[in-house]
Amino acid sequence: MKKNGISGAAGRLLATAAAAASLAACASSADPHAMAVAPPPAAVNADKAFPQALMHAMCVRAVTGGEKTNPLWVSKVDNDGFKSALGASLDTAGLTAPASGCSYPIDVNLLGLSQPSMGFDMTVTSHVNYKVYNSGGEPYLLATIDAPFTATVGDAFLGVERLKKANEGSIRASIQMFFDKLKDSGRP
Amino acid sequence: MSASALCLCGCAAREVTPVSMSQPGDDALSCDAIAQQIAANGAAEAKYRHDDKEVENGNIAKGVGSAAPFVGPLIAGSTDLSNEEQVKARSLADRNEQLRYLANRKGCGQ
Repeated sequence: MKKNGISGAAGRLLATAAAAASLAACASSADPHAMAVAPPPAAVNADKAFPQALMHAMCVRAVTGGEKTNPLWVSKVDNDGFKSALGASLDTAGLTAPASGCSYPIDVNLLGLSQPSMGFDMTVTSHVNYKVYNSGGEPYLLATIDAPFTATVGDAFLGVERLKKANEGSIRASIQMFFDKLKDSGRP
Repeated sequence: MSASALCLCGCAAREVTPVSMSQPGDDALSCDAIAQQIAANGAAEAKYRHDDKEVENGNIAKGVGSAAPFVGPLIAGSTDLSNEEQVKARSLADRNEQLRYLANRKGCGQ
């Protein structure tokens, strides 16, 4: 008997093949380019700007807490990848300080990623502490940011790839939320 | 089939809420209150780090078990990737760093 045009045996074979393909695929680290925040269209957030003091005055000093990806396990976000993504995002936003001096260094502690073990829609929530200091070494902004992002089967068919995309989206959302807090930091 | 469907629907990560580094009312904390918070956070951090190791060991065992025929996917689905204990332990360490900074600024213990 056929259901939806696929016989029971063929259906089982297809399901097994899909499961095998999903399990056989190797996990890879999140891509820094995919985690970086893209420049917003000129019309968006025009009323919300960064405080002038932060412009061309920030740098990423240290990133801790990231994990290397084990290809036989699940995709993770490592320190270098996060640093690269945050650095590129600062560049795009015009916040990066010249090499001669950084007045507002940023330390990042990646507390962890809350990931699903499997599923069709995969939601990853990144938990990140951003610590911005002023030139006197005093905390300028301390932000604990939880950023969820869901990747669907439409984003990637294979589970390992879908989880990687969810990781990347979550970090991108985290950096965007950090930027929003920076913008608010200049308001009275 | 229904077991797989159940698993796929039920394998979302647990909701995890870290402790914020900076909290409203921090500036009004007395030296005693800061010291109490630091001690309580330190104890909680140690417990979470211990629990995190246990979860990690459990996940390794489940990773091996996931290769088992038939029940493998169910075992793999029960893997805990929420990192709840790690997130809470690390956030408590950062919170204590901020509390120590506040204590210094207030001249506590001098």
